[in-house]
Amino acid sequence: MRKHTSATRQGRPLWMFLPGGLLTLVVIVVPLALALYISLLDLDQYSIREWVGAEFIGFENYVEAVRDSHLPHAITISLGYSALVTLGCLPLGLAAAVATQDRFKGRGLVRSALLIPYVLPAFVVGSTWRIILQPDGIANRLLGTEGLWLNGPRSFWALVIVQLWAGWPLVYLLAAAGLQSMDTTVHEAAALDGAGHWAKLRHVVLPQLRGPVSLGLVISFLHNVNSFTLPFVLFGVPSPYDVEVLPVLTYVESFQNFEFGLSVAMAVVSLILVAIPMAVYLRAVRLDTERGQK
Amino acid sequence: MRSEDVARLLPTGVRNAILAVLLLIVLGPLAYMAIASVSSDLAVARGALWPDGFHIDNYARIWSTTNLGRGLVNSLLVAGAVAVVSAFVALLSAYVLVRYAFRGRIAVLRSLLALQSIPGTLLLLPVFVLFAGAATALGVTIIGTRWAVLVTYLTFALPFSTWVMVTYLRELPPELDEAARVDGASPWRVLTRVIAPLSWPGLVVSGVFAFLLGWNDVLFASVLTNPDTRTAAVELQIFGASQEGGALPVYGQLMAAALVCAVPVVALYLVFQRYLVAGLTTGGVR
Repeated sequence: MRKHTSATRQGRPLWMFLPGGLLTLVVIVVPLALALYISLLDLDQYSIREWVGAEFIGFENYVEAVRDSHLPHAITISLGYSALVTLGCLPLGLAAAVATQDRFKGRGLVRSALLIPYVLPAFVVGSTWRIILQPDGIANRLLGTEGLWLNGPRSFWALVIVQLWAGWPLVYLLAAAGLQSMDTTVHEAAALDGAGHWAKLRHVVLPQLRGPVSLGLVISFLHNVNSFTLPFVLFGVPSPYDVEVLPVLTYVESFQNFEFGLSVAMAVVSLILVAIPMAVYLRAVRLDTERGQK
Repeated sequence: MRSEDVARLLPTGVRNAILAVLLLIVLGPLAYMAIASVSSDLAVARGALWPDGFHIDNYARIWSTTNLGRGLVNSLLVAGAVAVVSAFVALLSAYVLVRYAFRGRIAVLRSLLALQSIPGTLLLLPVFVLFAGAATALGVTIIGTRWAVLVTYLTFALPFSTWVMVTYLRELPPELDEAARVDGASPWRVLTRVIAPLSWPGLVVSGVFAFLLGWNDVLFASVLTNPDTRTAAVELQIFGASQEGGALPVYGQLMAAALVCAVPVVALYLVFQRYLVAGLTTGGVR
């Protein structure tokens, strides 16, 4: 299929890249390079004013981050909770997609409602659940439990639950899109074979959703690993030990402890963490009409 | 058997049970949010399910308890500008990416996706240092102004906005602008007269997502703004954090303020839902 091969080399208005390219260069590319450089400096609140003259200490920040900081702990927390949330998105997203596929009265309304947690700003979600989960709050009352959700060991589960509540609709969305683009003849084939609802779901429908759903899971994982606002608003800073996720740790190290070099080194490490799911993601998405498929 | 029946995925009973559970999970906290926003602070603090009276005055008092009003104005100004400018800048880049061949095209397309997953915490300090340095060099104020967050959000919005426009422009038949080009129209004319008018749904999607990025950010706004230019997101975060310890927290007002911050976003979503859902499924990390 060579539908859109009309891409031409003649009279290319490459200047149209200028605004976007310049902004990206100044606010993303240069800061990225700067980050790599700063991570090699002994930069704290005393040297920040003259940061260019701060002492170059090679990989000492990285060594300190790995050996004497909360970084390994934060990585464990970040990866652990992101994996749990991503896993949790799967049954919720699939169930919602399958349940809203058949026509029924009010389906449009249900579909809209299910997406609301996802469109709510993270700072609103955080503020709301902070109140729901406060010690004498509604959560403890309804569950018949006592004690803290926003501090101590339970806070980890609070983070998982709230992030799951806010994030699962993305998987639903992608699964629903996959269902809608599914070839309808498979239904007839399944009916001819006398397949029941469950057999059809398991052997015909769900396997076809593998593509879009795995994409949703990868995106969800990336989103959770990088998520700053929700844990920041939900637990405040400095964050409780059990929910000391990487983005918040990095932020606190910079803007509360003023250990800038160390903080940026930590952030660079987090870049490595997202690199693997990112590579998977890049392979999964159709980049161009002429190559690969979704 | 009608084709409708053949295509059914679930028995009605199972479907209704699933939907009931999901709706309870989703709407429960939302309903509580609404209830708490008209409850007394004491009722919320005690975890009461029903409000002790109808304290609609929570919505009146937030404007004097906090600087939310100014925060909302700042957010609207910044996020609104980001939406409009980024949609336009994205259209420019996407047009070249879709219609012209050049070296590094695939690399640019790939970086549009890759750039979205760079953690903001990695860029925060370098951007801060860069802005501070530029301000000193140029003798102007940057940090603390709305320009600082505007430029930052605008840039962060571009990868996704451009990606949305790329996927949108791909679907426009190339014959359209080829005809105009053959007639001797310049690329700029083709873009503004032929492409732009046809691609407004794409422009709306990329604009709305850029708006949300600006509206939702706390990380950069907490460092790059001052008390006068703070966005609603930071205002609400500070309001929430300041309720710790001391006297009875003003929970009712906090919930009212959170709802006020959510309303523009949910309204945008409901109005443009159809387009936004299509945009989200084209593979954005956000």
